[in-house]
Amino acid sequence: MIEHKPRPIWELAPLLIAIVAGILLLFIGGAARVVIIALLLSYILDPVVTFFESRGMPRGLAALLVLLGLGAAIGAAAAFLIPVIAEQVNALQSGTTSQQAASALGEIEKSMRERLAFLGLGSLDLGAKLEDFKRSISERVFEFVVRDSLEVVISAVTIPFMMFFFLKDGREMKKKIVSMVPNRYFEFSLDLLFKMDVQLGNYLRGQFVDALTFGVLSIIALWILGVNYFVFLGAFAGLANLIPYVGPIAGMVPAAVVAVLGSGTLSSAVSVVIAFVILKMVDDFIVQPFVVASSVELHPVFVLVAIMIGGELFGMLGMLLAVPVTGFFKVVLKEGVSTYRKYRFS
Amino acid sequence: MTDFRARVFGYHRKAHEGEDLLAVLEKIPIFQDLSRRELSAIGHVLHRREYLPDEAIIRQDEPGLGMYIIQAGKAVVISEPGNIQLSELADGDFFGEVSLLDETPRSATVVARTHCTIFGFFQSDLFSLIERDPRFGVKIVVRVAKIIGDRLRKANQQVQSLSADLHRARDVQVRADRP
Repeated sequence: MIEHKPRPIWELAPLLIAIVAGILLLFIGGAARVVIIALLLSYILDPVVTFFESRGMPRGLAALLVLLGLGAAIGAAAAFLIPVIAEQVNALQSGTTSQQAASALGEIEKSMRERLAFLGLGSLDLGAKLEDFKRSISERVFEFVVRDSLEVVISAVTIPFMMFFFLKDGREMKKKIVSMVPNRYFEFSLDLLFKMDVQLGNYLRGQFVDALTFGVLSIIALWILGVNYFVFLGAFAGLANLIPYVGPIAGMVPAAVVAVLGSGTLSSAVSVVIAFVILKMVDDFIVQPFVVASSVELHPVFVLVAIMIGGELFGMLGMLLAVPVTGFFKVVLKEGVSTYRKYRFS
Repeated sequence: MTDFRARVFGYHRKAHEGEDLLAVLEKIPIFQDLSRRELSAIGHVLHRREYLPDEAIIRQDEPGLGMYIIQAGKAVVISEPGNIQLSELADGDFFGEVSLLDETPRSATVVARTHCTIFGFFQSDLFSLIERDPRFGVKIVVRVAKIIGDRLRKANQQVQSLSADLHRARDVQVRADRP
């Protein structure tokens, strides 16, 4: 065998520094959140920028154009949705439970007391509890909009700013990272990075398109059925759909409950359930086969643990980012192991 | 002032290195017929690596990711097991170009004999170029295909020549064995 001269250990220093910096970043909540969101969105939009570049446009200009387009789309959606959302927040904050909802709650409470008499249930006062719950949700939404507005404005500036550079200089950044790797692990790193890039890109774009499609379809379905807070409930259903198995049910239950409370009849809940079953079939048989990479199947237990960790670290946003971040780690691990096996490290 | 900028920002060194690299790239058959702008674009995607004497650049049986171009230094191509030296490479030589199209395992090991400055051009870089500028990417793919085709033709000629030699040797043997 050939004697391969070992490289000094200090050559690994830049890589170790990068890893330590990454871990530190994870613990600086706000900054990490902004970087993760910017990275995920850049990954999703990269092919669009590359498309413009392949048509002869400089990459920087293409990145700027895509970001402006995204800003315009968000602006247009906000112009359409803000009045609806404001109306729904107002309804949540000031609205009292409708007569039908009150009677429905009364029926449920009566039935529960009769059937669960052996538990010695006293007055449940479900109506008051529902009012409290609604108030707490509206307060949280209000807090998010008003108290966290500074953070929202800062994120609205920093995320596109970072995205611009990730989109424009992403390749150079990857090249710089690979250049820090010692010669012995250089080809392995390059191989791993390329395979991860392809798999992650497909996975994240698939998840994004799937969540967006399911969310939009849910909003439309709930609006047609006349369910209150259809924008929130539909958006929540779209995001919940990212979670395998339990997600679709988690997205459907609140909509069904709100439908019953709004109309006072169980038939409205049945309509919502039927609508969600149809949407799920459309999602499973039409949307997912085209957009979601089947190679990154996540076990529901891992997803739930990841959601709990995400919630613990970064709150609500952490829970939402948990699914793509778990997918990211699965791809890294899977590709890392399979690529490592092809090399003669020993 | 120029000296200060050269020392602080490395402008002078980089410009000089860029010219050197273009001069090397122009001589590589895969990059022949490319304009200066296209060569410069290739230069941007290349990975510059430094190897110490006796350090392996690629290893036999490991996945082939792309080609390497020696800008400065000497390297040897070795077949394992047995460490049989197949050839010696020097400034401007290149190896591993078949891996640009096909990720088959490396057929030999290449080890640096002296301190080597090498540029790597990989399949992922080529795919990225094709995606960004299909016309430019296809130019390179066609050149690689031509080089592989030439090699295949030469290999066929060698096989035919060896086969003819073998037949002749057999005839001689048969004649010699006759009583």
